[in-house]
Amino acid sequence: MTRSPFVEFRNVVKRFGERTILDGVDLTVFKGEITTIIGKSGAGKSVLLKHIIGLLKPDSGEILFEGRPLRSMSKAEWKQLKRKVSYMFQQNALFDSMNVFDNVALPLRERTRMPAEEIRKKVMARIEQFELSEVTDKFPSQISGGMQKRVALARALVTDPSIILFDEPTTGLDPLRKNTVLSMIAHHQREIGFTAVMVSHDIPDVFLISNRVAIIEDKRIPFQGTPVELEQSDDPLVQQFIRGQESLADELTGLLTRPDLEQKIRQELTRIGRFQKTFSVVLFVIDDLEHIREKVGFIAAQRIVQCLGNLLKGHLGTTGMSARFSQNEILTVLPHTDLSRAQHFLEDLAGRMKDAETFQAKTYPRICLEFYIKAGIAQANSGASLESLIEQARSNLRTIAHLECTTGRRVSKS
Amino acid sequence: MKKYTMETAVGVFVFIGLLCVVYLTVKLGKMEIIGGNFYVIYAKFDNVSGLKPDSSVEIAGVEIGRVGDIKLDVNSEMAVVSLKIKKDIPVQEDAIASVKTSGLIGDKYISITPGGSEELLKPGDTITDTESTLDIEDLIRQFVHGKV
Amino acid sequence: MKKQALPLALFRYLGRSFISFVGELGAIAIFFFYGFVNIFSYPFQPRKIMQQVYFIGAKSIMIVALVGLFTGMVLGLQGYYTLVKFGSEGMLGAAVALSLLRELGPVLTALMVIGRAGSSMAAEIGIMRISEQIDALDTMDIDPIRFLISPRIGASIISFPLLTSLFDVIGILGGYLTGCLLLRINSGIYFNRIYDSVVMKDVTSGYWKSLAFAIIVSTICSYQGYFTHLRPGGFGARGVSLATTSAVVISCVLVLAADYVLTSLLL
Repeated sequence: MTRSPFVEFRNVVKRFGERTILDGVDLTVFKGEITTIIGKSGAGKSVLLKHIIGLLKPDSGEILFEGRPLRSMSKAEWKQLKRKVSYMFQQNALFDSMNVFDNVALPLRERTRMPAEEIRKKVMARIEQFELSEVTDKFPSQISGGMQKRVALARALVTDPSIILFDEPTTGLDPLRKNTVLSMIAHHQREIGFTAVMVSHDIPDVFLISNRVAIIEDKRIPFQGTPVELEQSDDPLVQQFIRGQESLADELTGLLTRPDLEQKIRQELTRIGRFQKTFSVVLFVIDDLEHIREKVGFIAAQRIVQCLGNLLKGHLGTTGMSARFSQNEILTVLPHTDLSRAQHFLEDLAGRMKDAETFQAKTYPRICLEFYIKAGIAQANSGASLESLIEQARSNLRTIAHLECTTGRRVSKS
Repeated sequence: MKKYTMETAVGVFVFIGLLCVVYLTVKLGKMEIIGGNFYVIYAKFDNVSGLKPDSSVEIAGVEIGRVGDIKLDVNSEMAVVSLKIKKDIPVQEDAIASVKTSGLIGDKYISITPGGSEELLKPGDTITDTESTLDIEDLIRQFVHGKV
Repeated sequence: MKKQALPLALFRYLGRSFISFVGELGAIAIFFFYGFVNIFSYPFQPRKIMQQVYFIGAKSIMIVALVGLFTGMVLGLQGYYTLVKFGSEGMLGAAVALSLLRELGPVLTALMVIGRAGSSMAAEIGIMRISEQIDALDTMDIDPIRFLISPRIGASIISFPLLTSLFDVIGILGGYLTGCLLLRINSGIYFNRIYDSVVMKDVTSGYWKSLAFAIIVSTICSYQGYFTHLRPGGFGARGVSLATTSAVVISCVLVLAADYVLTSLLL
């Protein structure tokens, strides 16, 4: 397949009243590829998509279709072109007063002069292709969300469009269905060979089926390229998007981000020299978190981290700070604390952990997995660096809490 | 199956509705379904006060037609009333048309008293022998002044 | 310039509301004409019009008949007690028939249909708007006004006069029930009075009114639903509920106002 640009945005600007939504957007969509646009909600992804089908018109700039500007097209040409485009809405936008068959048949009935029998054949072919034969006579509200998606896709495809625009096709679906929808799109795209433009939050799953990715941020598109290029990019903005999911997990555990904490430690380190004040860091390591994730489940693993984070937060109040240091490590800073006080703090914490639900065997009725939480303390002295502190803490690791299954329900202190 | 019940319902609705329309327009509104079943003659009156288009025209109390339009003949300063008479009712040349009132304060109508002539009025002819509206006020005044 | 005198601000407020009012009126007029013209654009949509006739007309038969019956019965009672004071209870038929044909038939039918079909028209179109179904039509290159609004206007124009006639006939029967069966007026006099006093103009003026109401109700209700998303202060379900409410209120008020104007024109 030759890489000819199918749709091109050149310096497109769009304003709604006072608000500028798009400010100089350049975007290229190649024929026969899946192009995904990612960005924060409200960044103008849907607006961008609606420009392609002419639901919105740019205030300035140019949109080219197969090299020809939309602006200079006659009405008849534009109508011709519009027939080649299908749009799949976020909430499917199925007509709830029509049954599945009529929904799929609608574009053919209204737009073409096809005889009824031919329409029937064509619609039934699509319906069978999407395994909807059993619900042909049902109304959209009577079928499941996944089926509705399939109906919407069948309706989008029934006119044999050359380009389909997907507005967040996976939003609001559970992870299992998400993947089903994505693989459905990918599968049919390969089979039929349409060009697809997709707006999605679903990082990183969506990268797997995309040929190109464009990031929309701050009213422009700072990055567009293949998913591999995206992954390799060291642009902080791009990295932020890739790591989007992890940062969400940190929000849930109520912890700071690692860069924030590192910044804080560096600050504290410079203070030691000036004010002769010391502080300690504690590194918590949850042993075998990977293992728990595999055997017990993602949520259970997440809960353990969350529980530890909450305990720390409750115990430290506003003075200390904790951050997720890596997948299974949490780093805590205790300002104005020397080694012995830090020791004391740790013992206190271990006492509290005993009562936490997370460390009771009954919380995991199906599979009980023994796990340990270890902690290491390091006191900062003048001249110490961030790296040496962590190194020191890691070498001091001791078990502070332990879930035992055999004796059950007890968290022992070592 | 469902589709057919809807079609039936629409059919029943339209049928009932049209039935009512026909009743209202033909029976109540007296719409002439076929235009040609009456002929028009004219009558000149001094005074037709109270007479309205569509008032009835009667012979011996039987309705034989309706009043068409009422105009003023500027030359003679008389009212010219067109009468739509049913085709099969003959009106003699010397018939007398009079404006009458049903009851004391009821509707005005035109009563035709048949004449004895052999000659019948043709469509477009005019009845010249007429009696105008009886003015009750006038009548009372005359009564008071003892002229009656 | 910054701080305007109070009267000036008042005038500005007045001016602004007047301009937006006129603008809205124009938008509704364009909306109606576009929808009306598209009833006749090829290919015709008889099936959709029939569906709407079913919804607006056929399903309203019962309620219109019921309201018509009671209206006629009340007219029979009230008319009797008024007329009997003048000793002219024989005029009851005329009183009932004329008030039904000229006034109550068209108006009450319109009000009933607003409540039954107009509100759900606004709600249905409003939901189609907020669930992007109207946008979906647009992307499929299907004219949403032609597809959604024209059949409703067409069906209203068909249904309203039919429903009004039904109302009139049943109302006259209702008057007969109370007048003749209950209050013992001679039924021959009742009906003959009707035949004598009703003229074609009474019937046609009723039809003109019901046609005007059909246009008002279908246009206002669809318009409110269609532009739900542009309504300030309400989005989503709240917007639809506001649209439905104002569709009912505005069309009721307009029906009564138009009734006055038409009466004075047609008399």
